[in-house]
Amino acid sequence: MALYDMSSEAMMEFLPLTEPVLLILLSLAEQPRHGYSILKDVEQMSDGRVVLSTGTLYGALRRLLDEEWIERIDEEETSRGRQAYRLTSRGRKNLQLEIGRMKQLTHLASLRIARKGA
Amino acid sequence: MLRLYPALHRDRFGAEMTAVFGELQAENVSKGIAARCAFYLRESTGVVRGALREHWRALGGDAVWLSFPSRRYTVRTEFRFPKATAVLMAIILGGVLLAIQKGEAISASLRDAASSPIGPIHPVHSVLVGGIVMGFLFFYAAGLIGWAIMFAMRRSGVHRLDETSPAPK
Repeated sequence: MALYDMSSEAMMEFLPLTEPVLLILLSLAEQPRHGYSILKDVEQMSDGRVVLSTGTLYGALRRLLDEEWIERIDEEETSRGRQAYRLTSRGRKNLQLEIGRMKQLTHLASLRIARKGA
Repeated sequence: MLRLYPALHRDRFGAEMTAVFGELQAENVSKGIAARCAFYLRESTGVVRGALREHWRALGGDAVWLSFPSRRYTVRTEFRFPKATAVLMAIILGGVLLAIQKGEAISASLRDAASSPIGPIHPVHSVLVGGIVMGFLFFYAAGLIGWAIMFAMRRSGVHRLDETSPAPK
């Protein structure tokens, strides 16, 4: 069974995601990026609140590569120090699952709080 | 500091990490001293943490740790190690290492003395590891007690979140 054929239930064991991992996936969802670009995009998305170190970034990238949520892009013009990454179909599906989970949670939270305030 | 990582990780990501660090370093050159200190502290602690995690993984630790443990989106009343304590512990460790170095110098000079009234002085290496472990345990316990006090005073992160009103004013 291909990894991207896994059922949603099977993929749910990897959720919820940490904030750094979620932001990295969101960064790659927009377009393929190399490491420095991911760092700056994550910082921009979080308004400077989340600033990843090189060690944290590449620890997350290593895990995402091993789980086949992202893949490296082989570019002829890319030097060895500027390797680009992009989301795989499995990574995109997991990201959508996580966003769906968060939407459900925030919707439930707003309903409960509105009910309490009423 | 890349040498802290396992060889496999260095081969796989070493060049990229070096390139990214170089770009970040170039970006921080024009910033103030506080920003540069924050940058180097963040990078060094990130590398140390990442290297420890990779070594743990190489030893089969991934079987125990989840691949993506969550600590941000699930609100749980569990203890989180304060970052300020880690910085303080690093400073204390530096002081301890300096004190040990000074002690070794004094011990060497006394050993060289023709007639030492104190007698043979044992090297400090035998108590180094135990001393560092005791130091970390002490400050870990201090951080835990501090968090417990804040929790009892209902000023921990969970309580603050509970008191926050999401409704727009």
